[in-house]
Amino acid sequence: MSIVLDVRDVWKSYGELQVLKGVTFSVGEKEVKVVFGPSGSGKSTLLRCINMLDPPDKGEVLLKGQSLMEDGVNLTMMRARIGMVFQQFNLFSHLKALDNVTIGPQRVLGLEREEAVDRAHVAIEQVQMTDWIDHYPAQLSGGQQQRIGIARALAMDPDVVLFDEPTSALDPELIGEVLQVMLDIAQAGTTMIVVTHEMGFARAVANEMLFIDDGIIVETGTPKHFFTAPENERVRQFLHRLEVLYGGQESVEQ
Amino acid sequence: MVGSGDMHNLMPLQYGIVSYIDELAQAFLVTLELYFVGLVLGFIMGLTFAIMRQFGGRVLSRIATGYIEVIRGTPLITQVLLVYAIPVAINAAGIADLPLNWYFYYIDSQNRIAVTLNWPILASMLGLGINSAAYQAEYMRGGFASITSGQLRAASSIGMTRWQSIRYIILPQGLRRSIPAWSNEAAYLPKYTVVAIWVGVMEILNMSKTVIARTFLSVEMYLILAIIFFVFITAINKVLEITHSRTKIPGV
Ligand SMILES: Nc1ncnc2c1ncn2[C@@H]1O[C@H](COP(=O)(O)OP(=O)(O)O)[C@@H](O)[C@H]1O
Ligand SMILES: [Mg+2]
Repeated sequence: MSIVLDVRDVWKSYGELQVLKGVTFSVGEKEVKVVFGPSGSGKSTLLRCINMLDPPDKGEVLLKGQSLMEDGVNLTMMRARIGMVFQQFNLFSHLKALDNVTIGPQRVLGLEREEAVDRAHVAIEQVQMTDWIDHYPAQLSGGQQQRIGIARALAMDPDVVLFDEPTSALDPELIGEVLQVMLDIAQAGTTMIVVTHEMGFARAVANEMLFIDDGIIVETGTPKHFFTAPENERVRQFLHRLEVLYGGQESVEQ
Repeated sequence: MVGSGDMHNLMPLQYGIVSYIDELAQAFLVTLELYFVGLVLGFIMGLTFAIMRQFGGRVLSRIATGYIEVIRGTPLITQVLLVYAIPVAINAAGIADLPLNWYFYYIDSQNRIAVTLNWPILASMLGLGINSAAYQAEYMRGGFASITSGQLRAASSIGMTRWQSIRYIILPQGLRRSIPAWSNEAAYLPKYTVVAIWVGVMEILNMSKTVIARTFLSVEMYLILAIIFFVFITAINKVLEITHSRTKIPGV
């Protein structure tokens, strides 16, 4: 299996605050990695470091063997190959759903309008939003906005897609539709790094789960490992708290 | 120099404001020119300064801030006078020989020369534009600043450059959002065009004074002048209102 993304000993601080303290992991083609851990542990920072929205202080990030931190690397073109889905959706509010998805292929990849529209239709179909392409973000529900957010990332045909708590800003009844779409694209072979506390999703598709706490990866393993015999005490406590919080119920039924 | 002042001498002595209707219309045309050129120039310069101030990095944003502060901290009239006087002074000092004695005109129905553009008019346009730019820049910057950083991060995440983000994400939203505040400037500027009097432009107020000198109907003339401005500004507001509602983003 070829390595798509290689994260090596990444460190990041904001002023005095050391947020990431040497994070190392890699993602192979068509793999889904689920990252979870307490709030403030550095999960979002890690994703922002991976696509250089916030460059790491130290370490190395390689996309298909190519460093993103080398001098002279075309960062915008590298970023175009790393999709990102945000907790707050962050759709472009002046553009219709369709144009939120075409703008990347058109302006960044330089496709003709028709090609970009074709590509967008495929991506929008994948997130089951075909009936809503003429709506503006403010006319869509949170779940619909997030699905367009996913389509926007997919339309760039990225090597890997990063998800930063894609369902945690959603009303409970809208979480399922987004998770379903994420399951679909995972099963279709999309390489993904997903920060989420949706353990049902993790159980269903994660090849590996990474528990991050206080800026370091504390424990890694398969979903089965985490749900049967987690080693670290902090992991056990955290999973227990999640269970109490969500009552053991999960939004994805398998 | 052949300029707008010439019309003054050619005007026949008559009584009643109505008989000066052609002259007043001509002068109002000059007022319109001052307004639209000043507004458009102010828009182009204002947009440039707003972008510089908001996204220009250290040096450019300082330059823009400096410009905006100096312009907003000095009277419009001195700005117009300076724009007018500097080239005149350069010529007088023999530093250069700038062409200032040209004019564009048309021949009116009574075979008289009606000047549409000369150095005083151009200088007033430039002065109004330079002044308006500072205010327009601030309104636009307010609109730009209100775009959430999340959208910019999303733009970066699909590989947009900084300039593409500005061009495709910030400007379309920021300009829309600045329309209500910007409308103030668009509605104030007609009133400010009267400063052109100080460099001898025969615009509507100047012509009104001339008509009063001939007819002694000062109250009537000034009332008519007020009505002209009122109708003009009301029309501008209406246009802006329609523009604002037509460019609204659905659902927002
Ligand atoms: N841009 C920033 N400037 C300063 N501090 C930040 C910034 N982003 C995150 N932090 C801090 O870094 C820590 C980790 O944040 P984050 O990566 O968002 O955690 P998580 O996503 O795991 O909840 C937090 O203490 C947060 O306050
Ligand atoms: Mg976070």
